[in-house]
Amino acid sequence: MYVFKAAVLGAGTMGAEIAQVISLSGLPVVLKDVDEAQLERGMAHIRDIYARRAQRGRISEHDAEDRIALITPQVGFEGFSDVDLVIEAVPEKLSLKQAVLAEVEAQVSKTALLATNTSALPVTEVGAKLQKPQRLVGMHFFFPASVMKLVEVIAGSETDEEYVDSAVEFVESIRRIGVRVRECPGFLVNRILMAGLAEVFRAERDLGLQPREIDAAVAASRLAPMGPYALADALGLDIAEDVAQTLSAAYGERFDLGDRITRLLAEGKRGAKTGEGFYTYTG
Amino acid sequence: MTKEQETELLDRFSLAVFLEAVRCLDENISTAREIDIAMRAGAGLPEGPLGRADRIGLERVLARLEGLQAQYGERFRPPERLRGLVAAGRTGVEAGRGFLDY
Repeated sequence: MYVFKAAVLGAGTMGAEIAQVISLSGLPVVLKDVDEAQLERGMAHIRDIYARRAQRGRISEHDAEDRIALITPQVGFEGFSDVDLVIEAVPEKLSLKQAVLAEVEAQVSKTALLATNTSALPVTEVGAKLQKPQRLVGMHFFFPASVMKLVEVIAGSETDEEYVDSAVEFVESIRRIGVRVRECPGFLVNRILMAGLAEVFRAERDLGLQPREIDAAVAASRLAPMGPYALADALGLDIAEDVAQTLSAAYGERFDLGDRITRLLAEGKRGAKTGEGFYTYTG
Repeated sequence: MTKEQETELLDRFSLAVFLEAVRCLDENISTAREIDIAMRAGAGLPEGPLGRADRIGLERVLARLEGLQAQYGERFRPPERLRGLVAAGRTGVEAGRGFLDY
């Protein structure tokens, strides 16, 4: 199935960046949000991304304007009858995602592909309220989506293979790398990375090391682009803790982070976004 | 940090990542090739965990895991798949085959 027109639901940072990536590939995309003010913020964010690309000479200002014009911000369902793909990118709350997808399913054609952008929720459950759950796939865009090349394409237990194929083709058509992942807690990348992070936390304790020297050693070894503590700060300590708890519950102790992050969270330190985590950030 | 501590830290980190990648393979979550692609494109690792093990040599990876298992217990138990590859002579890049083909 070829996608001629896409729609993104939710104009938060993630939804806006996904719409930006789609528009950059030359495809028309509807960006829908129930909140007019959020739509304006989302479009402002998209214009910022294009302005930065133009500044770096990666796109002409004229072309940037043309691409931005491919995005239609709206609060309603106008023009959804000929949408081939809907990507839901509302906040990570199961009941909200279920409701939003059930609502949009009634607005699109019988063959349209539906996708949920999630880093944590089980695709099968997200699709539980759909008439036709076979057409729902997970599309896990990494943050920030305007930069990161990977999209995990996740098949739920109800998903038909042909829709997974279409999803991977679409991801490649917007110049991203689509990797097929069978549904499991954490999916692929976060699960594997978090296993490494939990082991580093144990090594810190066993060997009596400091986060700063561990990060320096890991970065210098070229095992990873940055040290695990800097990475956790960048991800958000609240999110890291959340993911680790989900993984511990699913797979056991090897994902246990101890109280290393819990103590920082109790002090209101949630990483780079709050100015403090394992490190202190200014500006 | 002493040189020994640094070696242990980096081995524990990289092998915990490797072991989880093998578990994903065992559970048919994805293919070896796609796991490595995903870890490079999604986590920014310079090298995928399975290709890295192939480059180092799977017999060496196996020996190191046995050492860590003796020291830290079951979470470092070498996977059956790894033992099978080593037993079959598929020890990585040098042998022309390991988790991936060369």
